[in-house]
Amino acid sequence: MTTPQGRAQSGDDPEERDPGLARERTSLAWTRTAISFAAVGGVVLKENVLTGLLVLAVAPVVWQLGRVSRSQAARTDLPTVGATRLFVIALTIVAVSLLCFLVAIFGRAAPLGLR
Amino acid sequence: MSWSRRLATLLPRAVERDDGGTEPDPRFTFANERTFLAWSRTALALVVAGLGIVQLLPPFPGVPVGRHLLGLPLIALGAVLAVAAYVEWVRSQRALRRGDPLPNSVLPWILAATVTGIAIIAAIVLLISALR
Repeated sequence: MTTPQGRAQSGDDPEERDPGLARERTSLAWTRTAISFAAVGGVVLKENVLTGLLVLAVAPVVWQLGRVSRSQAARTDLPTVGATRLFVIALTIVAVSLLCFLVAIFGRAAPLGLR
Repeated sequence: MSWSRRLATLLPRAVERDDGGTEPDPRFTFANERTFLAWSRTALALVVAGLGIVQLLPPFPGVPVGRHLLGLPLIALGAVLAVAAYVEWVRSQRALRRGDPLPNSVLPWILAATVTGIAIIAAIVLLISALR
């Protein structure tokens, strides 16, 4: 039985037979996001070592946050709405862009600069 | 609804306690989450582009602040885009629970306006730099 709002039980669409594909795509999207954080960290590293290391350290944390959706693979019940995780990601990006803003203005002399 | 109460409905605790409507198809929940993550990466790309312009480009001859004029707005708009992506995710998740039509997204508009604005500034900086 398939309803627009309900969960699909069967069907010809592979997505309906295995919603785990959506979970897998989401987990890959988390990985890409973690890599993006690492990329930002790498660019910052070139100018300001301590700030760069700080941003680089965020990448494994983001990757770990993504594991939450992966760990539900064994569970058949509904995924929890990960509002807190997404909120943390948004706030982290705001913090990272603030750091990048300071590094862009002050360069090596930015607050966490290593002379 | 007052301004501060509207803001309070965006906090993760309020979103997780939302019990209006029914839990949507998990695929929709995942798709909404992926959309948020894709916008997050776009925000990070704006930040990295801004930083790259300021730190890695050679200075524009005759326009000493040219690189900052291009790079700093990009970094700031990266932060704006990240917050807007979260707000958008909350609104979509609410609409999905209630079976409402998905709200119109302002994110493509923000991105288009950003790219257009930066392109115009870049053209002006280049023109001033070339005319000197």
